[in-house]
Amino acid sequence: MSTKFSFQKGYRARAVFVILNTIFFIFMMICMIVPIIKILSDSLMNHTVYGMQLIPDEFNPIAYSYIFTRDSLRRPLVISIYTTIMTTFLGLLISTIGAYILIQREMPGVKVFGYMLMFTMIFNGGLIPTFLVMKKLKLLNTLWAVILPMALNVSNLVLMRSFFEGLPTSLFEAAEIDGCTPIGTFIKIVLPLSKAALASIGLFFAVAAWSEYFHYVMYISDTTKYNFQYKLRDLFADKQEAMEGIQINLKTLQSAAIIVSIVPFMFIYPFCQKYFMTGITMGAVKE
Amino acid sequence: MATNTDAIVVKKPPLSVRIYKYRYFYLMAVPVIVLLLLFFYWPMLGIRFAFSTYKLKHITSGKGPDYSTGLGNFKALFTDRFFLDSFRNTIALSFWNLVFATVFTVVVALLINELQHEWGKKFVQTVLYLPHFLSWVVVASIFTLLLSAGADATGSDPTTVGFINAVFLKLGLIDKPHSFLTETSTWRPCWYIIQRWKETGWGTIIYLAALSGISPDLYEAAEIDGAGRLKQTWYITLPSLMNTILIVFILNLAKILNVFESVFVLYNDLVLSVSDVVQTYTYRKGIQGNDYGYATAIGLFKSVISLFLVTGADYVAKKIRGYGIV
Repeated sequence: MSTKFSFQKGYRARAVFVILNTIFFIFMMICMIVPIIKILSDSLMNHTVYGMQLIPDEFNPIAYSYIFTRDSLRRPLVISIYTTIMTTFLGLLISTIGAYILIQREMPGVKVFGYMLMFTMIFNGGLIPTFLVMKKLKLLNTLWAVILPMALNVSNLVLMRSFFEGLPTSLFEAAEIDGCTPIGTFIKIVLPLSKAALASIGLFFAVAAWSEYFHYVMYISDTTKYNFQYKLRDLFADKQEAMEGIQINLKTLQSAAIIVSIVPFMFIYPFCQKYFMTGITMGAVKE
Repeated sequence: MATNTDAIVVKKPPLSVRIYKYRYFYLMAVPVIVLLLLFFYWPMLGIRFAFSTYKLKHITSGKGPDYSTGLGNFKALFTDRFFLDSFRNTIALSFWNLVFATVFTVVVALLINELQHEWGKKFVQTVLYLPHFLSWVVVASIFTLLLSAGADATGSDPTTVGFINAVFLKLGLIDKPHSFLTETSTWRPCWYIIQRWKETGWGTIIYLAALSGISPDLYEAAEIDGAGRLKQTWYITLPSLMNTILIVFILNLAKILNVFESVFVLYNDLVLSVSDVVQTYTYRKGIQGNDYGYATAIGLFKSVISLFLVTGADYVAKKIRGYGIV
């Protein structure tokens, strides 16, 4: 393929294309970044500056101190952190255990177990029956209603299984001969060898748990148990309770809340991109 | 190797021995199976409520659902104007989104593939993938602010209108600020564009992976035969991508009825007629309206169609690439 960049005859069309393509992607990147810059800028000005202003004319972090000091906003943040940690931990536990069982090809009943997991991906009871089960289990308005269903994530479990399938079986045999119990093999051999998988899938769980909104909509009506996503949505609904006692500019607060909910992710994203990518390519090469 | 073949000849030990051998694994499986049964299989039993009248009063009185309704819920379903609207909306929104997604994502993937500068390419990808990781709540919040028409809709004070309105006013595309997300004529285009903003970059990954798998020999041969870049794209790249495009299209077609959160966070009462989808209607009927029987019937109707779509997609995927999706 000719890659020479030149305006000489014969290369001209290519050069024009390269320039247009670059312009196109600069435009695309502006489209992706400007909304976030605009929100960041608005969050630092305690007055409604709409319009096209992208650079703050004051540096006023009052909305942020509001979020971190007021109970009605700090509590959802704490709940978000708590559920993220719990979901990631339990999710990894369930996925690794489930995946470890799925790779025991000789184990009686393992096929049924696999089918039972897969079937949930194509059919489910639906919103209302699941809600009624939660009600029966007395889990409504508890954070377990959010954490537990998220911890069993079949697609993450299947992803973990494809990772485990890549481990050499001779290792398991060697461990067995040396007198290691299956649980010992799991803890001493499988987990230490799967650090990359644990990082990827742990990130999937963490991002999903941090962004979780649906389960709160379904199962949580107690305002003291909202997570930050729900609270953020609440700030936009013209509800009287949500606005109560808020003395600063609402738009500023809304902008600041958006920034707070994306900042943890923005920090880890540049460093963890390869882990996110591992998951995708892993799913793609499933045989 | 020889010992291995010998081992196969040996008769399998009896079931009880094999189960005993795996006893620790059964122990480990308990938490997974408990969660699976509680949150995925128990709700399936609740499907029977679809054939009953089951409202809040049935719960508070302790009587439980009234099964004399039979198929009544389903009969009501097909004459329920709001349900039919929501069904039409679901199909329209998902289908057009899928079409835009396929075309736009493939084009962007092809253009990313043409970027020569290695570092620049990485950077572009990193930026384009980013919105995928923002939650729908955050995306909806960002665009609610950006698309806002401002404090007063006359646009007399240009500093109070939202960013996008301000840009459009400046460019002379509109003559007064529009509240894009509360007008029936503009809600859907906004939803499609926001979907593209969030998912286009991430969607290119699978195509880029397929593109990197195309043998360079093909391009060399084409070049020797005198085919230019455009011809190479048309006769080599696109045909090589066709399988991936089809697979992605089919997989997404199977999920066509599942749209919920992206609509739920962006719709409002003013645009219900163009934005209400099956899942949001189920939610309003069941969770907000406490009409559990009827809402379960809607959900069941949706699940059964989805089941057919997924098994159909699985069949087609097997035909195309040799292995299915489930």
